[in-house]
Amino acid sequence: MKLKKVLAPVLAAAMAVSMISGMCVSAESETISLTMWGAEEDQALLGELVEEFKAAYPDQTFDIQIGVESESTAKDTVLTDVEAAADVYSFASDQLYDLVKAGALANLEEVGAALQVAGRTLDDVKSANVEASVEAASVDGNLYAFPRAGDNGYFLYYDSSVLSEEDVASWDSLLAAADAAGKKVGMTLASGWYNASFFYGAGFNTGLNEDGTTTIDWNGTSESGYTGVQVVQAMLGIAGNPAFMAIADGDISNQLASGALCACVSGTWDAITAQEQFGDGYAATKLPTFTIGEDQVQQGSVAGYKFIGVNGYSKNVGWAVVLADFITNEASQQKFFDQRESGPTNNSIIASDAVAENIAIAALAEQSAYSKVQMVGGKYWDPSQTLGELIAQGGLKADDEAGIQAALDTLVEGVTAPVE
Amino acid sequence: MAKKESGNVILAAVRGFFGAIGGFFSSFGTAVAKGDFATKLSLLWLGAGYARRRQYVKAVIMTVLEAAVIWFTFGFALNYVPKFGTLGTVEPEVVFNIETMQNEYNDFDNSFQILLFSLFSFVVWFAAVIVWMKNVMNAYELQKKAERGEHINTFREDLHSYIEEKFHITLLTLPVLGIVVFTFIPILLLIFVAFTNYDQNHMPPSTLFTWTGLSNFLSLFGGGGLTVTFGYAFVRVLGWTLVWAFFATFTTYIGGILLSVLLNSRKTRLPKLWRTLFIVTIAVPQFVSLLLVRNFFSNGGIVNTICANIGLTGFLRNIGLVSTSYIPFLSAPGWAHVMIILINIWIGVPYQMLIATGVLMNLPTDQLESARVDGARPFQVFKSITMPYLLFVTGPALVTDFVKNINNFNVIYLLTESVYTTTNQAMANSQAKEVDLLVTWLFRLTQDYYNYKMASAIGIIVFVICAVFTLIAFNSMIKGDREGTYQ
Amino acid sequence: MEKKMKLKENRTSSIVLHNLLIAVLAFIWLIPIVWLLCTSFSAYSGMNTSTFFPKEWSVAQYVKLFHPDTVAQFPQWFLNTFVIACFTCVISTMFVLMVAYATSVMRFPMRKPLMNMAVILNLFPGMLAMIAVYFTLKSFNLTNSYVGLIMVYSASSGLGYLIAKGFFDTVPRALCEAARIDGCSEARIFWQVILPMSRPIVVYTVISSFLGPWMDFVYAKMILNAGISSKYTVAIGLYKMLDKSLINSYFTQFCAGGVLVSIPISVLFVIMQRFYVEGITGGAVKG
Repeated sequence: MKLKKVLAPVLAAAMAVSMISGMCVSAESETISLTMWGAEEDQALLGELVEEFKAAYPDQTFDIQIGVESESTAKDTVLTDVEAAADVYSFASDQLYDLVKAGALANLEEVGAALQVAGRTLDDVKSANVEASVEAASVDGNLYAFPRAGDNGYFLYYDSSVLSEEDVASWDSLLAAADAAGKKVGMTLASGWYNASFFYGAGFNTGLNEDGTTTIDWNGTSESGYTGVQVVQAMLGIAGNPAFMAIADGDISNQLASGALCACVSGTWDAITAQEQFGDGYAATKLPTFTIGEDQVQQGSVAGYKFIGVNGYSKNVGWAVVLADFITNEASQQKFFDQRESGPTNNSIIASDAVAENIAIAALAEQSAYSKVQMVGGKYWDPSQTLGELIAQGGLKADDEAGIQAALDTLVEGVTAPVE
Repeated sequence: MAKKESGNVILAAVRGFFGAIGGFFSSFGTAVAKGDFATKLSLLWLGAGYARRRQYVKAVIMTVLEAAVIWFTFGFALNYVPKFGTLGTVEPEVVFNIETMQNEYNDFDNSFQILLFSLFSFVVWFAAVIVWMKNVMNAYELQKKAERGEHINTFREDLHSYIEEKFHITLLTLPVLGIVVFTFIPILLLIFVAFTNYDQNHMPPSTLFTWTGLSNFLSLFGGGGLTVTFGYAFVRVLGWTLVWAFFATFTTYIGGILLSVLLNSRKTRLPKLWRTLFIVTIAVPQFVSLLLVRNFFSNGGIVNTICANIGLTGFLRNIGLVSTSYIPFLSAPGWAHVMIILINIWIGVPYQMLIATGVLMNLPTDQLESARVDGARPFQVFKSITMPYLLFVTGPALVTDFVKNINNFNVIYLLTESVYTTTNQAMANSQAKEVDLLVTWLFRLTQDYYNYKMASAIGIIVFVICAVFTLIAFNSMIKGDREGTYQ
Repeated sequence: MEKKMKLKENRTSSIVLHNLLIAVLAFIWLIPIVWLLCTSFSAYSGMNTSTFFPKEWSVAQYVKLFHPDTVAQFPQWFLNTFVIACFTCVISTMFVLMVAYATSVMRFPMRKPLMNMAVILNLFPGMLAMIAVYFTLKSFNLTNSYVGLIMVYSASSGLGYLIAKGFFDTVPRALCEAARIDGCSEARIFWQVILPMSRPIVVYTVISSFLGPWMDFVYAKMILNAGISSKYTVAIGLYKMLDKSLINSYFTQFCAGGVLVSIPISVLFVIMQRFYVEGITGGAVKG
């Protein structure tokens, strides 16, 4: 590490010299072809940013194609054929580990030197973004992706014309008030990304080992002294309430639009739908507390990020790094916030008044005190989804403690199975 | 004809295969033993025999072919085949070159490429050996002709034979080549993958995989596996696959016959209009119609809204059939199984109706007439004349349909993927669902979990099941004496 | 007299009942199709889950289909699929008819073994071979290209020769013999004797191989994996519209696109089914 720090300025100087001498050559250099994948809803903005990027390097000719690939499915597509995947792509933070292991992400500590073209260093990137986001983008202390957005988490949207601030403080009062108003509260239970919030809130953990396996303690007792069975019982209580609606993953915006909901657990991607539906009553806040025995336990959540990564097998990995950095720099993140209401990771944008005034992002910030980065491997998702579905469908009975314990044991067994 | 021939296909294939091989080798031996110098020389130089008999164009062509195979061997195959035993040993290492702004890689091995190109080379070499042996036999034939003083074809005449007695070669070369490259080699490759550890931890290009013997099959059958639940999930999925194939085949078969009898009845007014209406449902591409139906019946979909409004949901809740606030048409076991079969009837019956209609049109009318004269009731006619005839004609198709349904990917995938969440934890632990067929399971294993080794093992099992079933079905269904009945 | 009247009444009522039964069945069969049609004329872009018929009717989604955005480029997809389908159609039809003719009319030593191989290959699940096909194409640098896709659709089409063979089997052998005696080459018998007589099966083969690329989404999704929307075929384009993140704003467009694709396909399909019935029964009975 130390050696690198000493070497960096030396290298930089050497680079500067070679750059100047290289300028004459690069004037007639060949076209750099790059492909970039981003979410569908960001396409227009990405196109705009690419044009700016080209304008910033007039000496170099680029052929940059932009493809559609949702952040949530980027890993599936990339890993099918790493060599055919885009040079620069956007993905959700929970995919980082699998992507790194498959060589699908370039180690930025090695290729980050390319940023000299932009007159920047990797340390600039690290210091410009929230520390937690940089940490989430690193494996073994090596940075593997550029943080772009910090809004890949969830909180509570509600209609303040139906529910008061006191109502939304706890699930009990929330569901009671919703029931009284003849409306429903929606949340996705059949997803390990959402239903972990109850366990994290009660002090349980998950962890990721070096070999890609997951550690999980949900069948035992948490550091806060609650048992997994108690958490499931609390979830069953919520799911069994007639005012609660268990919604399939990704279906929340449909249900919001249908007008049946007065509150739902979701993230910034549903902000516009929620605004349209709730109108003047549009409000958002941290997640409510839930009841275990006598206690009110604050529901936790997952703090996820959206990263821009550079494919390790990119033909033009250097320019890909420069482009990825450009898409995630302060000016670009500002544009993402202005146009897409995307919560930034850049320190100075977060500090701005506009961000503080944004209802959804403010709620996310409020929830962030109770959120954690979800460290899990690929074997986590199916079993945890099934547990959520069991709870949502009432497949477990709250008074059958042994049955719940058995279900949790099976969950742990499946989640901790070796990767194959 | 074709269908009858496929009767003892596999046994016949094995028998015929070895017989053919024996004959081939013995005539090759004769050619080598009894050949003159030119014939023997063509063991080394493929053009020798032709050149000796003044077939110079052919001699050149064979020489070029020989050179091509040699070039292929040294320029291509030998880069991969020697590593076939280990599937590669050199992992990739990368250095970033700031000058070129590009990554520089060492000369690393890619296990998948080694496997693929080795198999490719084996197939080419196999073909080359056949050509080589055949070539010597041809040279010997020419030699005999020359000895007997018979006419030896000019190149023109040789070419002409390709639209005459050798026309089948002209016809079959390209299609067979296509099948070999796009079906045969891929299947062969995936059979080999079932004996490796190609999975998420061993994924080229970044990591290598290697041979592991039978361990994948062991874990599939529940022994010494990585996941204890794999064997359990396998049995469950296999069970549903067979149940599905049975119901999917017979419901649509019987439904199709009933519908076609209904439509072809004399009582039907405007039969063409009705038939077209039914056909429209299958003319809409499946990915449209099935995705649509999936949303139609989704938990928050239109059918559920209607059922809730008319009180059906509440009623089902009261009698305990439903535990949720919606009817889980496609999201709970049992419900989903029944719905999938019903929806398959929806898209399958019109197809079978079409086939049955065609068959009914060819129904031997004399039998029908005499039955009518004898005063048989319509139902009796149907039972004792129409149905046996239909069964005879479409029986073999029934077997093919069963095999097709075992591999029916579209219906299950389009209806349940990303909608159905299993509540069976043991299956979830093996990434399977209650509604999965073996093929959809293996597809998910490759697409979402990159577990190619297990997917390949499952694929082989599917093949074995289909093969055994076809063998038994054909052998018991086609007994010799029935063949003449309807001719 | 009275008895006759009663019989006739019975007949009329049974005819009414009979046709009513068909009508009810047709009604059930058409519900989802009607829903597709109605929804495609909805003014609301997401899925309408509260009423069967749209609350507001409009052709806006059809208009949108023809004004491409980054996701929906329907005219382009349609063109792409059409081009792919045309090439696939030509190659597959040729392959299928060639194999069918060779195995049906000609006699040569490898005939039986080849046919048995085909039966065995057909027993393997096609899904399994898909990954290997992908990497084979990749090593020829043919992924993300229409050439690759056309090859995938048509290269193995020879395996589906059985229906055409069944038909060729019914063509009287005497005809071929007569032509041979007249000095026709095998190639001419194929072109000028057998093919003209086999119009139903030729039309059937042409249409069914033309329809393949319109229906397939698995291979297309795998091979056109660069994520560039303008390169998609109709099937993957529409399939991606139902992505979780898109379904709410594209469901009606999906329906509209589905309707537009279905119209030409339905027409072809209705034509094809006529020939299909002729083709399949011709072969099966006289086998």
